[in-house]
Amino acid sequence: MQIQEALIALLVLGPLVFGLLMLTGVKGVLRNALVAVAGVTTIAAGVALPFYSGVIVPDVGLPTLITTLGNWIEPMVILTVLAIGFSIRSWPVRIMALIQLGLCVIGLLMSRHEPLEETKLVVDSLAMIMVLIVSVIGSLIALYAIGYMNGHEHHAPATAASNNRFFFVLISFLGLMNGLVLVDNMKWLSIFWEGTTLCSFFLIGHDGTAEAKASARRAITINVFGGLAMSVGVFLAAHSVGSESLSVLMSKGPVVLLPIALLAIATMTKSAQMPFQSWLLGAMVAPTPVSALLHSSTMVKAGSYLILRMSPGLEGTPLAAVVAIAGAFTFALTSALAIGQSNGKKVLAYSTIANLGLISCCAAIGTPLAYAAGITILIFHAISKALLFLCVGTIEQSIGSRDIEDMGGLLFKMPLTTNIAIVGMISMMMPPFGMLIGKWMAIESAVHFPVVLILLVLGSALTIFFWAKWLGRITTTSYHEKYTIESISPWMRTVLAVIGIGVVVASICALPIYEQVIRPVSLLTFSEQASNINISILDSVSAFLGWPMIIVIGAIIMALATGALLFKPSRLRLPYLCGENVDSDETTYTFRSIADAPSTAMLTSYYLPLFGESRITTWANPLAALIILSLFGVLFI
Amino acid sequence: MTDVPKFNKSPWVVHFNCNSCNGCDIEFLACLTPLYDLERFGILHVGNPKHADVLVVTGSVNHRNARVLKNVYDQIPEPKVVVAMGVCASTGGIFADGYNVLGGVDKVIPVDVFVPGCPARPEAMIDGVLKGAQILEAKHSGKTPLAEKNVLTRTPTPVATPVAQEKGAPHA
Amino acid sequence: MIIPQTPLMVVLLVVLAPLFGALLCGIDRRITARAQGRIGPPILQAVYDTIKLLRKEPMLLNRVQIVYAYLHLAFMILAMLLLVFGQDSLMFLFVFAFSTLSLVLGGMCVRSPYSRIGSQREIMLMVAYEPILILLMIGFYLVNGHSFMLSAPMTAAKPMLLSLPLLFIGFLVVLAIKMQKSPFDIATSHHAHQEIVKGLTIEYSGPYLAILEIAHFYEMALLFFFIVLFWSSPAWVGIILASLSFFLMTVVDNAFARLTSMWIFKFMWTGALILAVTNVLWLYWASK
Ligand code: SF4
Repeated sequence: MQIQEALIALLVLGPLVFGLLMLTGVKGVLRNALVAVAGVTTIAAGVALPFYSGVIVPDVGLPTLITTLGNWIEPMVILTVLAIGFSIRSWPVRIMALIQLGLCVIGLLMSRHEPLEETKLVVDSLAMIMVLIVSVIGSLIALYAIGYMNGHEHHAPATAASNNRFFFVLISFLGLMNGLVLVDNMKWLSIFWEGTTLCSFFLIGHDGTAEAKASARRAITINVFGGLAMSVGVFLAAHSVGSESLSVLMSKGPVVLLPIALLAIATMTKSAQMPFQSWLLGAMVAPTPVSALLHSSTMVKAGSYLILRMSPGLEGTPLAAVVAIAGAFTFALTSALAIGQSNGKKVLAYSTIANLGLISCCAAIGTPLAYAAGITILIFHAISKALLFLCVGTIEQSIGSRDIEDMGGLLFKMPLTTNIAIVGMISMMMPPFGMLIGKWMAIESAVHFPVVLILLVLGSALTIFFWAKWLGRITTTSYHEKYTIESISPWMRTVLAVIGIGVVVASICALPIYEQVIRPVSLLTFSEQASNINISILDSVSAFLGWPMIIVIGAIIMALATGALLFKPSRLRLPYLCGENVDSDETTYTFRSIADAPSTAMLTSYYLPLFGESRITTWANPLAALIILSLFGVLFI
Repeated sequence: MTDVPKFNKSPWVVHFNCNSCNGCDIEFLACLTPLYDLERFGILHVGNPKHADVLVVTGSVNHRNARVLKNVYDQIPEPKVVVAMGVCASTGGIFADGYNVLGGVDKVIPVDVFVPGCPARPEAMIDGVLKGAQILEAKHSGKTPLAEKNVLTRTPTPVATPVAQEKGAPHA
Repeated sequence: MIIPQTPLMVVLLVVLAPLFGALLCGIDRRITARAQGRIGPPILQAVYDTIKLLRKEPMLLNRVQIVYAYLHLAFMILAMLLLVFGQDSLMFLFVFAFSTLSLVLGGMCVRSPYSRIGSQREIMLMVAYEPILILLMIGFYLVNGHSFMLSAPMTAAKPMLLSLPLLFIGFLVVLAIKMQKSPFDIATSHHAHQEIVKGLTIEYSGPYLAILEIAHFYEMALLFFFIVLFWSSPAWVGIILASLSFFLMTVVDNAFARLTSMWIFKFMWTGALILAVTNVLWLYWASK
């Protein structure tokens, strides 16, 4: 147990310590080395944790010192939020922070007399999966940031904060996330929760431009609202259940619906569900590693993680249906919104929100299959999305645009990044990659909830549209005999390659991961349903993944693809342009027009105005808010 | 079943109008109608050279369209045959003395079948395409040598090679 | 009607299904010709065409194209096997969708305006019909005692058609789209050759076009088999049903003009979807 506690300390406190070292103002190689050491130790600790804990680990107690420390840290965090509220002159933030402060003080005064239960850590399989995601993917993103920020320094606006502060926040973020995942005490949970809010505020506002400031302000407003919901929930829970432990609260289930509803709202703000999605879209103004971090492994995943934790508590309550519908609604609508976007990062952002919606929908459905689907999506989405964000960031840094329509011909200009991006996109939608398996299980588990089901069906059809458009554009290329070698920073190149390989390996190992990790977790969590028919579907997932045909077909594809590489340039022709081609390498859309003047065909993909942002959000946001408000409505049924 | 079905079982035709008076074109389209029914021979009228086996040309070649004709011809995969439909396509016909006219199709690309007539009759046209289809098979089996490509018997007035627009244009 | 999962069966299916599909296409062309007062091509014309294409010179624009062509075929074969062997229905749908998607991507990856227009339209079609197909699978699930396996409708005592009449109508529309029939043949078809010059297949020629044709034959066989599922016991009723459906498609093809992709999208997401949803909700209600 000693090693385990040390590892946990390393995971939570290590990044914070390394982050503080950044503030000493180290520069250049030293700073890079420091970030690298921080990243590598976090990865090592994250990977080591499961080995030193067996499959299922009992709760680990914490020294009382830390418990009492929490009483002092919480007001400090809230005061920081309040200070930010003053510095950005935002009344909503100030008011919400003051309410939180009040609750905190009342809580402290009341708890003087009754001793609270011991603060606990929970190191079960779900927590370890999450720790792995945070520490491995998060740290890799930090390593990528070394290369990226060196480039960013040169063309960042003058208002940008120093890179040292950036790395301080970025690395501490990982520690806070690990803490958030591992604690069971809700007071500590809300401390870490607010901590991640603060981190995201600083990271989003990094560039200091008007746009960045506005986005940071929106992010903190929405997340402090979530934080407030959580504080109220925790406060009520502590005084109705008499315990600050999340697992105790969840085991009480139906008795304490109000705190659970409030916590559910907190998870929705954090995971940017409709109508709270605007902060995550705004977060794109930040440097790429930030958006990669926020979207894939930290921040938004905190919401998903918490709702998965709450899944057993939600099960059987009237809240579950509402949360499920809200999640499915978000999935369908944000998938539709993604169709109307040609901004690559926005498409990624909407797709992230959609998948988070799917996770919370799965968590709320609360069957073993749904739970397994939620975890599958959580894992594979984190890997694939991190990869995609980093790729788009790399592409943007090199071609100066994040517009999908500008990404034609990249296969020649930046082959490494583009090929990795293609792997990432394929992994989001094609069999046998994990995301598809997750979505498949999600639809199958939603089959008894007609409303949820229809939303999921529509959403998954829409998903194909925007991925196909993008994939089609990015693979567009003319023939070139030799590929160029692109020049990007070695940090970026290595990290892209590592995550890219990770995506492929994870999908090859989808079956073992499912068998060894996801299935047991889900059966354990829902042990009382173990005799349910849903188990047979869980088995059918295994049966499919093992279906030998997949391997056979895979082999055929590989063989044929190799054959495709035996390609003779003599067979090359220009595209058919009614015989009026202008022969040139770059622009094969160019044809001879009137008086032989060259003229270029313009062709963009469909960005249907039907799915325009303003058109959908005007009715979808109020509707989503209504769904969420009905969380309180069902309390009185 | 004797052996592999021959090319002549499914010659796909692409029709290129060089400089025709449209008389031949209308007659060629008449071949698709129920009265003549090209499809009963497996002949399909496809819209682009990439899928075609037979290039049917109507009208005489002039300085401006010679390049286009050759481009379309080059985009047909081997084996391929060219059928010159009507006297214009065969020799230049009544336009032969025009100031801009180069002459028949054979001035620009190798022609396998000449179909006479002004306009050629649909029966003659179908006959011409089927003859071409036989040549296809012969070309594939190597009995008829493939025509040497890019042979111009008379050079068209050179056109200035247009410069491609600014390299790496975003929508390229 | 359960088909054993043996290697021999796999080989038989892989060999015979495209022949069957080609035959269906040939019959279709013959019927169309007769309807127009023509004699029409031989029944085996589709086979002749494919063999001819295979013997032609390959011609390409880039390497990526080839990979997508093979993926299209491979996924189509896999989808057919998943269907025939009664595997999970949603997974079958996904694989089937990825086959079409590979075709779309193959059309998009070349710098050819016609090909890209065709691909864009094909994606619109996919998005238009995909919900109907998924709802159809949900319908199967609800009727067949909560099983997602496709083997369930194969062994069901009561014909699916009687429980899923509205979904069947929806599926017929999907069939028209998949068979590239008017009014839905906007992305590519043998008839649309003048409009967007064959759309998304334009830049494939020779053997690579043959690969797409063969995949289309597999697709035809797959769709035929799928209709049989609606009346699988006794199977001969299903076969008659499927034949009638295919005949209906040919008639519809000749009776309608092409429409725009946006129209199709709206039609599918309102008319056809309402039919499908009504049917599914009715099943929910009936099972309560
Ligand atoms: S041959 Fe006669 S009908 Fe044909 S294009 Fe020439 S002038 Fe017209």
